[in-house]
Amino acid sequence: MHTEHIKYSLMDYITGHLDEYDVDQVRSHLRHCSECQTHYDELKAAYDLLQDSQNVSPGSAYYFTILPRVQKRLMGHRESIWNDRKITPRLILPLVVSALFLVLLIRLPLDSSSEHEQADALFHAVKNYTAEEVVQAVSNLYTDSNVLSNSEVVSEGIAEHLQGDHFIRDALLQQIESDEIVDMDLDGVVSGLNREQVEQLVSRLAEREIL
Amino acid sequence: MAASDLELVESFQKGNEGSFNELVRRYQEKIYWIAHRFVNDHDQADDIVQEVFLKVYRALNDFRGDSGVYTWLYRITVNVSLSTIRKQRIKDFLRIDDFFDYPSEESERPDKQYEQNEQKRLIEEAIQLLPEKQKAVFILRYYEELPYEDISKILKTSVGGLKANYFHAVKKIGEFVNRAHRAH
Repeated sequence: MHTEHIKYSLMDYITGHLDEYDVDQVRSHLRHCSECQTHYDELKAAYDLLQDSQNVSPGSAYYFTILPRVQKRLMGHRESIWNDRKITPRLILPLVVSALFLVLLIRLPLDSSSEHEQADALFHAVKNYTAEEVVQAVSNLYTDSNVLSNSEVVSEGIAEHLQGDHFIRDALLQQIESDEIVDMDLDGVVSGLNREQVEQLVSRLAEREIL
Repeated sequence: MAASDLELVESFQKGNEGSFNELVRRYQEKIYWIAHRFVNDHDQADDIVQEVFLKVYRALNDFRGDSGVYTWLYRITVNVSLSTIRKQRIKDFLRIDDFFDYPSEESERPDKQYEQNEQKRLIEEAIQLLPEKQKAVFILRYYEELPYEDISKILKTSVGGLKANYFHAVKKIGEFVNRAHRAH
């Protein structure tokens, strides 16, 4: 075994997960390689610390509660299929409005002022809806490749009127807390923001190593 | 003789819902501990366990046995755990301005119990600070003692890459704890 291989086998050596042949290889290598010996000492010290830190079990009674709660939620999930249908119509209007403006945007060559007017009109059309609904509506359009570039324009128009950070925060929190969203979909969440806002958000999240 | 995991899956696919219950009983403790080591919090680990089994139930009919049942379960657990961590970090980030950073009572009054728990807390903190991949490898290898070949299937990473991640994870944990001790 060469040095790199030995180095990366040291934890298995310490925890007793190597076979006899490899144990001999590591042991004889450590006798003459000071670099690996240093790694070994550091890993062994960390291992000893880890050995002293065992988590406390929640107790066997806890495990008896898991299955009944899973079953209860499975029943709830089946019922929610019907409940979801009540929510869907609330998204229809913003979707239709957005789609209509998309058609307008596609058909009409816009200068910057008329683009703002369109965005303004769009904002008024959707202002009675929650940030989540708007994000959802724009998200749905955004994922349709045929209208991608135009939905970006619409998204910018909406986002310009929704006060940047406040909008980002509400939309993100609502998305995160929604039971319907299983995986965090940042692309979907930020699709309602303009490029500058997205860049700000990404840079702020990156600062805290969230992205 | 107890049915194998795959037999339970096949039985479920034939309409026997009880086989799912058996899978839950068989793996609930393992999944709880993997989740707990990712999030270091009982309530969040409990949520993850629930979420994992809901996902498993919904996907069980599509399971074709391309991977082992337990590697599939563990992969779902790792993904749900990482997703939970990301959501929590974003939540914490977004709410950070809502709170002043008052020192906790615990840190103001380092009583005996606190002293005894300090080492454990440091290690848990060190594990939480590991990059996602290193954390996943560390948990699956150190705590679960899974073979590299199985971890490779769960995390879709080469065995060589896993060994390197494991090495760096343990080194970082040791360095973090030592640095914290020197700082006190």
